[in-house]
This record gives sequence, C-alpha cells and structure tokens, in this order.
Amino acid sequence: MSEVVKLQLIGLSVVGMGILILLFIRAQFARVIGFVAIVLGLFSLVALAVPQMASLPPAEEKFDIATVKTPTDMAAIGQKIFFSKGQCALCHSIGPSEAARCPDLKGIGAKLSREFIFESLTQPQAYIYLDYRHEGLPKEYPARMPYINKNPIGLTRNEILSVIAFLQQMSGEPISVSPSELEVPGQAPAAPVKAAESAPVTVAQAH
Amino acid sequence: MLHRSRSLLTLISKMTGRTWWIAAFAMLAGLAGMPVFSWAQDVTGVATAYRDIPQLGGSRNIIWVIAQLHLLLAGFVLGVPIFAWVCEIVGWKSGEKRYDKLAKEFTKLLTSAYATTALFGGILLFLLIGLYPKLMGYLTDIFFPSFVVYCLLFLLETVTLYLYWYGWDAMQTRTMKGFHLFLGFLLNVFAFFIMIVPNSWATFQASPVVLSEGSDIARAWAATWNPTWWPVNVHRLIANVVLGGFICGAYAGVRYLSVSTSEERDHYDWMGYVGNFIGVFGMLPLPFAGYWLMREVYQYNQQMGITLMGGFLSWLFILQAMLIGVLFLGANYYFWLGITYRIPGAEAKYRAPIMTMLVILLLCLGVWMTPHSLVASLEEARKMGGTHHPLLGVFGVMSAKMTVANLMILVTFMSFIMYWRAGKQETATWAKVARAIMGAVLVIAALAVIVLGVWGYFVPAIIRINYFSVAAVSFEMFVMLTITPLTAVLLKSARTTTEMVWGRMPPRAGYALVLNAVMVILLMTLMGYARSSSRVHWHIYGVMRDSSQYAFSPALGYAAAFMALNTFLFCLLVAFIFWVATMGDKAKTGHGEVSKGKLPQGMPAMAGGSPHHPERG
Repeated sequence: MSEVVKLQLIGLSVVGMGILILLFIRAQFARVIGFVAIVLGLFSLVALAVPQMASLPPAEEKFDIATVKTPTDMAAIGQKIFFSKGQCALCHSIGPSEAARCPDLKGIGAKLSREFIFESLTQPQAYIYLDYRHEGLPKEYPARMPYINKNPIGLTRNEILSVIAFLQQMSGEPISVSPSELEVPGQAPAAPVKAAESAPVTVAQAH
Repeated sequence: MLHRSRSLLTLISKMTGRTWWIAAFAMLAGLAGMPVFSWAQDVTGVATAYRDIPQLGGSRNIIWVIAQLHLLLAGFVLGVPIFAWVCEIVGWKSGEKRYDKLAKEFTKLLTSAYATTALFGGILLFLLIGLYPKLMGYLTDIFFPSFVVYCLLFLLETVTLYLYWYGWDAMQTRTMKGFHLFLGFLLNVFAFFIMIVPNSWATFQASPVVLSEGSDIARAWAATWNPTWWPVNVHRLIANVVLGGFICGAYAGVRYLSVSTSEERDHYDWMGYVGNFIGVFGMLPLPFAGYWLMREVYQYNQQMGITLMGGFLSWLFILQAMLIGVLFLGANYYFWLGITYRIPGAEAKYRAPIMTMLVILLLCLGVWMTPHSLVASLEEARKMGGTHHPLLGVFGVMSAKMTVANLMILVTFMSFIMYWRAGKQETATWAKVARAIMGAVLVIAALAVIVLGVWGYFVPAIIRINYFSVAAVSFEMFVMLTITPLTAVLLKSARTTTEMVWGRMPPRAGYALVLNAVMVILLMTLMGYARSSSRVHWHIYGVMRDSSQYAFSPALGYAAAFMALNTFLFCLLVAFIFWVATMGDKAKTGHGEVSKGKLPQGMPAMAGGSPHHPERG
C-alpha cells in the first residue's frame, strides 16, 4: 500500500468519524470537533488528489573524472546536470514551448561558440538576450539569467563544460569540449575558457 | 467533588498567576542554552551538524509541529491585543460598555495564552539547539545582538501585559482610562517588535544578504534588513489581526451553539459579528500584502519565485485558492445570514443581490482554482493540442487570478456595506446623489479591474506586475476609502426602519464562524510550508545546504496531513485556554454546572463578564 493510499484512508476515516459524531452525539462541543474533523479530513483528501510532487535535493554528484573517457561521456553527464542540479529546464525549453520563460535552447550549441556559452553562464549580464517574439522593438527577457557558477546553483567548471558538451551534442554539432580540459582535484586548474573575441556582440534570436 | 474542583481551580489560578515565571524560565533557558552551540562537538572534536530522534518521527517533523504550534500561538497572542485594544477604543469612544467588557475578557485570555506561547518557544529553542546545532550556531553568530533585544522586548511586553490586564478595573476612571489605552498601545508596539525580530531570522534563511566585515551589531543589522523582511512583517501583522478576529468569532460561534438563555445567545451572536467583522476587515488588504511579498521574492531570486509559482509548489497555490475561496464564501455567508435573520423583513429585499454575489463569488473561485497546466496522458495532450488546455490556458494564468481575487474582495466589501445599510432609511437630502456616486465608483472600479485583467494578457509580465496589479489594487482601495466614509456620513442621519435583533441566527451561523477560523489556521500552515519549501534543500538559501536525510520537501498530500494535524492541535490548545479562562469565572461566582440551570439568567457570559444583558450605552 503506497503512502498516498494510506493517507487517503486516514483522511476518509477522519471524515467518517466526524460524520458519525454529528449524527450520534448531541454535545455541542463534540459536534464542533466532528465538524472540524470533517473539514480537515476533506482538506487532506483534496491535497492528496492533486499531483504529488516532492522536491528531492539534487544529488551531490561526484564528478568522477576517471569515468569520463570521451566527449560523449561528458555530454551524458551534462544532460543530467541540465535537468537537475543546473535547474536549466526550470526556465529554458529545448524546442518551442509556451511554458518556457526564457529562450528556447534548441540548436543553441550550433548557433553559439562554446566560449560564448561559457560566458553566458558565468557572466550572464555581459550580453543581454533579446526577445523578438513580441511586436515592436525587441525587449529584454523579463526573467534574468542567474550566475550559474555561484550559489544557489553553483555549478563547477567541470559541470559547466559538461553542460556545454550536452548543448552541442543535442544541436547536432561535433562536441568541441574535451575530457582533457577537466580539472582533476588536487591539480592546478586548467586555463580558463576565454570568451571568443569573434563572438557576436548582440545575439539575435532566430525567430 | 466540589472540593476537588475548587482545588483544581486554585491550582490553575496559581499557575496562570505564574505566567511571568514560565515566560522568564523559557527565556533564561534559552539564554542558558546558547553556550551549547559551542559545545556541539562529539568526542572526536568534529562538529555535530545534526541530531535525530527517529522514534518520534524524525527531527524535521518534530520541529515542524512545534514550530507551527508556536507560530500559530504567537499569531494569536499578537493578534488578540490588537483586537482587544481596538475594541477598548471603540467602547471608550462610543460609550458602549459591552466593547470594553469584550476587550477585557480577551485580554484575560492573553495571560494563559502568553505562557503557552512562551512554553512552546522554549521547547522549540531547545529542540533547534539539539537537533540542528550547526545551523543554530551559524545563526547565533550573526544574530546574537538581536537575541538580546528580543529578550528585552519580551520583558517589556510581559510587564506591560500585566499592567494592562491587572490594572483594567483600577484604571477605569476618566483620568486613568487614557493611560490604560496608552498601555494597550505600548503592548501592541512591543508585540509588533517581538514579531519582527524573529521574522528577521526566518527571512534571512530565505533571502540572505552578503555580510561584510564589521561589528556584531552592524552584521546583525545588515542580516536583519534582508529583502523579504518587511513584506513578511506587514503580511504577518495583518494575518494576525485576521487570526485574532476569526478565533474570537469561532469562540463566539461555539458558545452560541451551546448556551441556553436568550441573554447569552444575544451576547455571543453579537460577539460573533464583531469577530467576523474584524477578521474580514483584515482579510481585505491581506492579498495585497501577499502579492507584495511574492513580488519581492521574485525580485530577490527568480528561481525561488519560480519554484513557488511554477515549480513543484505550483499546485499548492490551487489549494490556497480553495481555502481563501471558502473563507470568502464563509465570511460573506455569515453577513448574508445576518441580513436575513437579524433584520426582519430584509430577506426579500436582499435576496436578489445576495444570489448575484454568490454567483460572482463561485465563478471567481472557479477561475482562481483553475490550474495552468494539467497532468495529462500523451493521448489527452494530443487532443488538447498541447500541455495546456485551451480554456485552462486562459484562466490558469496570473492575470486571470489577480482579476478574480480583486473582484472577490470587492464583493465581500459590498456584502459588508449591504449589511451595514440594511434596516435603515437614509433621510439626508443628498442621499440619492451619494448612492449614485457609490454605485458609479463600484461599477467603474469593477470594470477597471476586469479591463486591466484582460489587458494583462497582452503585455509583458513585468508591466503587468509593476503597473497593472498596482493600478487594480489602487482602484480597490479607492472604492473602500470612498464608500466607507460616505456610507458612515449617510447613515448618521438615517432612520432605523427595522431594529437589529440579536440571538436569532440559525446554528449554521455558528458553524460558519468555526469554518472561517479553521480556514485561516489552515492557510497559515499551508503558507508556512510554502515559505519553508521555497528554500528547497537549503537551510539558508544559497549559503548553507541542508545535508541531513530530511533535505527533501515532501509532496503536498503528506504535508497536508501535517497541516491538518497542526490545525487540530492548535484548535485544541486554544479551546483549552478558553476553558481554563472561563472556569475561573464560574468558580468566582460559585456557579458550577449543577447550579447553572437554576439561575434565572444562566451562567455569567465569559466575554460579557456579567449575567446582565449587554449594555448598550
């Protein structure tokens, strides 16, 4: 028996008890308790009838460099991060979506260089994405991109590179990020990813 | 038996007389417990982050129940002085003694309620120190100066409460009444600060700010002044008034159902009216305060806002809509019952407007409860043409929900105005013009709210949030600030055609009052869960991660079971407090349950404090 079913049975019992009190007990205070029990039982039953979504903490994934052999391995890890710890899918869609609050990322790995994507994630205010879907002059997206390398999301450099690998892979591009760029704990950090000098100054959205 | 009963009463009387000691003990215990933060190390010298009591349901659940009960009691203890002070002022200004008696009796409840709140606060503090030493150590390091301020405020509040309560009768003279009212004012000032100081600790957890180096006081002050502090302060202050009003109403409702004499029925009917009125009075601006809080949350951190409104907590807001909707319906229903039963002959006149209001409220509730997206199978989604149902896509968005919330507030306000005007005939020469102005203001405001709501679909969210919502709220406020004084002036010279008759309400009116109180308590527990869960797996958002086994936020069904349990426990606690308070009255007059029926005027009314008919001037 699942937890939801157990709670539903408890809720039904509480409601039933309340009804019995109202039917058979004359003492007013007890009747009020019965009434309150019915209200609280019904509230619990309604709450159990809506989708039951718990919020699980993102696993503090150990980025085991030893298991990463190929760029495809990195993309697989990047995909997991995209939909979990990175919280990217909370705002971005991959493909058109009415629910998305921020730019559609389908094909983004082909449109933008890896350096530009890195910069967009770590310095999101360096270049402002404009929304061309509205009539008239394009406007800034109302939702502001957070700093992905800072808390509360706080992706590490390795994790960001993996997300870039995923974005490139799902755009049908060859993955330009190599496992050799990953920082090994205890070793000196790799050279920072530079923003490409040739990157576009303003990114026009392809709509 | 009688002797045993008296002994019990003496004991309870002694216990309530020692409220001071219980409160002081709780505070001293808290201060004494503070060094424990630094002792929170095991024998190996490694700091302990968590302790658990799995046999009692786990540390998180224990804290959940105790913290919720403490917060609800605190809301009650801080809401009742506002309620009592307002009643005392009304009694003083109008000369109606029954208001003064009502205020006095509710202040009397404070003494025992205050001790219970302090007791739960002490328990909560011990449990937090024991179960979450690392978090409490961190918070103490930042907030210690405000802990000291909190203790001082507690002392001042206690002294003021005792002067206010024990000096009630002694300060009834003309010269001293003003001082007593000032004490009531001071009581509320200290209570307000007692509320906002702990608010800073809780809001810092949700919206921490970067703390630079500086003195302890400077760091504590910087952490206190975090982005959600004032929105939460204002929201809680109003919510406490609502809680105090509706609990008074519920108490009156329960007593109304059980009393036997007509005097008592009159009295508790009147008390239920006052409680419901104050509850509704606070409820009208509450959604605006909630909206401001949510706006600040979005501005502080968009992820947190999205987690609340569009993430895993989005269905919680459908439950919130249901509870608020039932509360609006309950409050209006009580007004309508009042028009029907207390004002003979008014039923036929007001039947059509009441039915219209009911239909509007139900339609609005339907829209408010419409979810934005549904859990649908692939087949169902294909039939709908996407994840959004064409109809739900229109009604499930914020623009529609804001519009209907505003309309429900307008309807509730007009219910009250209708009740106020029932049974009276305006005699002023300008009455017709005034009625036309009021009608025009109402229609224009309603139309403006609807137009802004529809227009809101076609503008960017930021325009809707910053301008349209503010404009809609301004229209509402304009209606209230125009129609209320106009009605008051109009009714000053009005002729009473039908006297209001108290004590004729049907039993379902008593249940409606109880329902309203339960809805408010449930709402507080629901939104407490929302506020806590919006931090997801962080003790302090983005700063200190919750790495315990309870870092997850449970699903709504599981959480609702706890909310229902906490609501039930709180109702029992409040009932116990009321019972203890009234028992003392019975003992004083020597009327036990046995002799009650023999007395011509029944047992003394708790809130009136007198067996006589409530005095009216």
